[in-house]
Amino acid sequence: MIAAGVDVGSTATKAILIDENRHILARSCIKTGANVVKAAERVFRETVETAGIEEHDVTQVVGTGYGRYKVTFGHAQVTEISCHARGAAYLFPHTRIILDIGGQDTKAIRIARGGEVEDFCMNDKCAAGTGRFLEAAATTMALPLDEIGPLSLQHRQSIKITNVCTVFVESEILAHLARGRSPADVLRGVHLAIAGRSVALMRRVGLDPEITFTGGVSRNVGICAALEEKLERHLNVSPDSQYMGAIGAALFALDRALTGHSPAAAAAGA
Amino acid sequence: MADEYRYQGTGRNLQKDMLGDWFQRLSQAPARGEPVAYLFISGNIAELLSNFGFHLVYPEVTALQCGIKKTAGNFILKAEELGYSPDVCGYVKNDIGLLHSGNASPMGKLPPPTLLVCNYSGCRTYVKWFEALAEFYKAPLFMLDVPYRRDDEIDPGDLAYVTGQMNELIALCEKLTGKRFDIDRFRADLADTAKAEEYWVRILESARRVPSPFDSYFEAVFFMAPLYTLRGSPDCLRYYEAAWREIEERIAHGIGPAGEERFRVVVEGPPPWPHFRAFWEMFQRWGVVAVASTYSKVGGLFDQGVRHDPARPLESMAEYCMNCYTNWNLGLRRDLIRRYLEDYRADGLVIHSVKSCRSFSVGQADTREVFSNEYGIPTLFIESDLADPRYFSAAQLRNRIDAFFEGLAHRKLTGAAPARPLPVLEVRP
Amino acid sequence: MTHEQILAECREWFTDPDFGRLRALREQGRRLIGCFPVYTPEEVVMAARLVPVHLFGGGTMVEIDHADSRMQSFVCSITRSTFELGLTKRLAMLDGMLFPSICDVARNLSGLWRRNLPDHLAEFIHFPENFQSAHAVPYLRHELQRLEQRLTAISGHAPGPDDYRRTFERVNRWQAAVNELYALRAAAPWNVPLADAYALVRAGGMMPREQHLPLLEQALATWRAAGGRPQDRVRVIVEGSFCEQPSLELLQTIEESGCYVVNDDYLLGLRWHTAPLPLDGDPLEALARHILQRCVPSAVHHPGPQGRGAALLAKARAAKAEGVVFCIAKFCEPALYDFALLKRALEAESIPYLSFEFEEKMSTFESIRTQLETFVESILLFS
Repeated sequence: MIAAGVDVGSTATKAILIDENRHILARSCIKTGANVVKAAERVFRETVETAGIEEHDVTQVVGTGYGRYKVTFGHAQVTEISCHARGAAYLFPHTRIILDIGGQDTKAIRIARGGEVEDFCMNDKCAAGTGRFLEAAATTMALPLDEIGPLSLQHRQSIKITNVCTVFVESEILAHLARGRSPADVLRGVHLAIAGRSVALMRRVGLDPEITFTGGVSRNVGICAALEEKLERHLNVSPDSQYMGAIGAALFALDRALTGHSPAAAAAGA
Repeated sequence: MADEYRYQGTGRNLQKDMLGDWFQRLSQAPARGEPVAYLFISGNIAELLSNFGFHLVYPEVTALQCGIKKTAGNFILKAEELGYSPDVCGYVKNDIGLLHSGNASPMGKLPPPTLLVCNYSGCRTYVKWFEALAEFYKAPLFMLDVPYRRDDEIDPGDLAYVTGQMNELIALCEKLTGKRFDIDRFRADLADTAKAEEYWVRILESARRVPSPFDSYFEAVFFMAPLYTLRGSPDCLRYYEAAWREIEERIAHGIGPAGEERFRVVVEGPPPWPHFRAFWEMFQRWGVVAVASTYSKVGGLFDQGVRHDPARPLESMAEYCMNCYTNWNLGLRRDLIRRYLEDYRADGLVIHSVKSCRSFSVGQADTREVFSNEYGIPTLFIESDLADPRYFSAAQLRNRIDAFFEGLAHRKLTGAAPARPLPVLEVRP
Repeated sequence: MTHEQILAECREWFTDPDFGRLRALREQGRRLIGCFPVYTPEEVVMAARLVPVHLFGGGTMVEIDHADSRMQSFVCSITRSTFELGLTKRLAMLDGMLFPSICDVARNLSGLWRRNLPDHLAEFIHFPENFQSAHAVPYLRHELQRLEQRLTAISGHAPGPDDYRRTFERVNRWQAAVNELYALRAAAPWNVPLADAYALVRAGGMMPREQHLPLLEQALATWRAAGGRPQDRVRVIVEGSFCEQPSLELLQTIEESGCYVVNDDYLLGLRWHTAPLPLDGDPLEALARHILQRCVPSAVHHPGPQGRGAALLAKARAAKAEGVVFCIAKFCEPALYDFALLKRALEAESIPYLSFEFEEKMSTFESIRTQLETFVESILLFS
């Protein structure tokens, strides 16, 4: 039996195929582009081709992500929060807390052993503490976004960035640079500020081990280091983290396939 | 201050010592089995509660002290972890965070309450604050409801409601402490309070002089503390006798609060406690002296004729409760500011708007419009917070303050037309 | 009118930025008094032969422009949008506004109203917060009498006992119908769409009750007879929206995300009394006593020793709710302070809850929808 999860994000669309033993058979990731419906269809087709099967061999498909209702061939939709939770539990069976820092928002999720969402907390009002803050800093300092993380690790001193608002952080950064502080030190301050806000968000759902760090910003080594310092703990970061949502969706699809679509039975069997 | 003067520094230092002693007594109260009452500054009924031997805790003062001693940040974060929004009052969050940190404040360990008295005058957040404390401490809560001064005159029905509740509170205190209400001591305490109020008003009105011997905002926030926290104890009157001597000495020797007085302002709004020193310096460098302020009246509008009166103890106390600044409607507040600008010969108005406090801040932008556009008074509008250290942008504040006083200096130099003279207004408290 | 026409008519009352229906009412000779949330003593307004019009801000209808230069930015939208409506003369058909004591922002708004709209009556009503005091009823009676005098000066009619008796009867009848509507929704929510029930009640707060009652009764009959089937959704109660109101789209989003809202505190001021008003005795005293002793628990009045947590748990159990959704207006102090305590009460009983903030003028709800769906999923898929 084969199940599929399709995660339609604002930048990238991902698909995962799994079998009844929860082995990943294929994965694919493409740019979402303007036509969301076609992106979902294309990424699904790619995984099917990679696995060497036909589309009708896939018993159940679950769509997730902001474009989950555009997965027209999907049998059900599940939110990315629920899917990330299950995906994280799949990749890190002992994880209890997930921190997801995206471009637009930040989420902290507490889960039970099977990946069930127990509680979650979002910051989607304020750009400070999301990837936006990093983008603003990178733009202000005229550096590519993927360089600021490694550069921040080369700091000699720590500078405290006090502003809570992305709008004001620009002038604060320029003021430090004008005073002769090194870019690495300033970036270190920026990364610490984001880590601080993330930890504050996480405290609302708890800090039980293990903690998994996911989302686009998890690729930033400077944030990883800053978070681990503040938490005094190692964080789980997976190279597959961008597939976490699709993996979770595939697992939900598998539940449906195995139990004839009954959620209660799925919960019993999970 | 120079050594040749006997009394300089008294106002600041004696108040600090007295408050220090008070906190010490507070930390010893539980071990001694002595009852503790929590209450608020605006409309506070200190003499009534201390009559029964209650030690008094003012959570607002606790929060202010945490702010000024730079420990507020962590307590606020702790409260936010518990589910309090970033958008609610920093004082409340400080207090709740402190409660959940073993009540270990920078002034010492605070005792839990035997009784919570929510004297609701002027600030609705007080009610939500003590609802929360009642739940966390599982302590009894008495709501002393003081009606808002919604019209120009006080309705006798309002006063009857307040005195009626005070009698109920007295009955409750008798039950809780096993002590009878001592009306003679109450009258004696009120007599002392009235004397202290007299001295306080003299200190405030000294700022009518040009130059002023007293900064009625940056110094007043300390000089006012004993009147708002130590009434009902002998320390209160003793303090004001001493503080008045300091001001008398300043007048006699021409001493001012800071170097040369270049600008006189009226200040509206609470100060940013976590950045108090830095904020004051932004004004001091311009030779600015605050000659009147509204925040110094949160504990009572004594300079408007409010007095405790041993001949009418509960009635005068009820009148006092209704006449604290944040319990006055916006029209009354506006007229007060106008009178201050006129009576104290101020050059301009500074409005410091704080995010936490809706009672103060909502409508200050309208006040700015009125004074600046309609009355032609130079008005400076700046924003930060009174409790949360994160909401303070030093660079921006300095910019605005500098630009304002530069402009004022220029006007003085070029002899620009003075502000339109304001009609003098009468408002009976 | 058909059922659909009734609902469309109701929506018209509160979605027209120029308040055409109110203007028409004024042109017919009725005098109107605006009532700011949450509960205003509309009974006194009615007895004085005026029409109480419950207003809930400008919603999505008005751009806030003038109001912001006079208020603060860190305050709820409803106070700013209501002020905006006043400043832009859209409320000129009213003879005044009543502001009950609910929070410092609304209180200060009454002062701003007085200065900026001096031709309007602007009355602030200080409700007792000391419900336990023996002096609370006499005080409130006195306050209601003060209000009565101010309103009499507008209508020219001083209410007598007959006026009050007729008013109380009318209010009781209307209240009973609204209670029945809520009972119907709780029993068979699949038959009564949330946005429709909401529109019906909200409009009722704006028009003369005798005009609205037949519409309400007809809609009730339609819903009573509906024979829909339940879907697989989660029963929730919504808490925290008693003042600034969510838009109809947000209400629909809540249901579409997989919820049946079996009780809520939308329009709480219109459902204030927990028992019928008594028809005998001194009416103002009876009203004062009733307001203090027979009012619903809410974030805007101190509840006394029991605490709000107990009231919320009772409400959830009575409605057989599986969870609580806190739908709180941004910057709403009473709701935000309550939330911290209410969540503890729910956690102690292991009742799932979700909380998010909204603004009346929001137009996209993606994030809220995602959070609601996740919440529903966590209950449906895992419990």
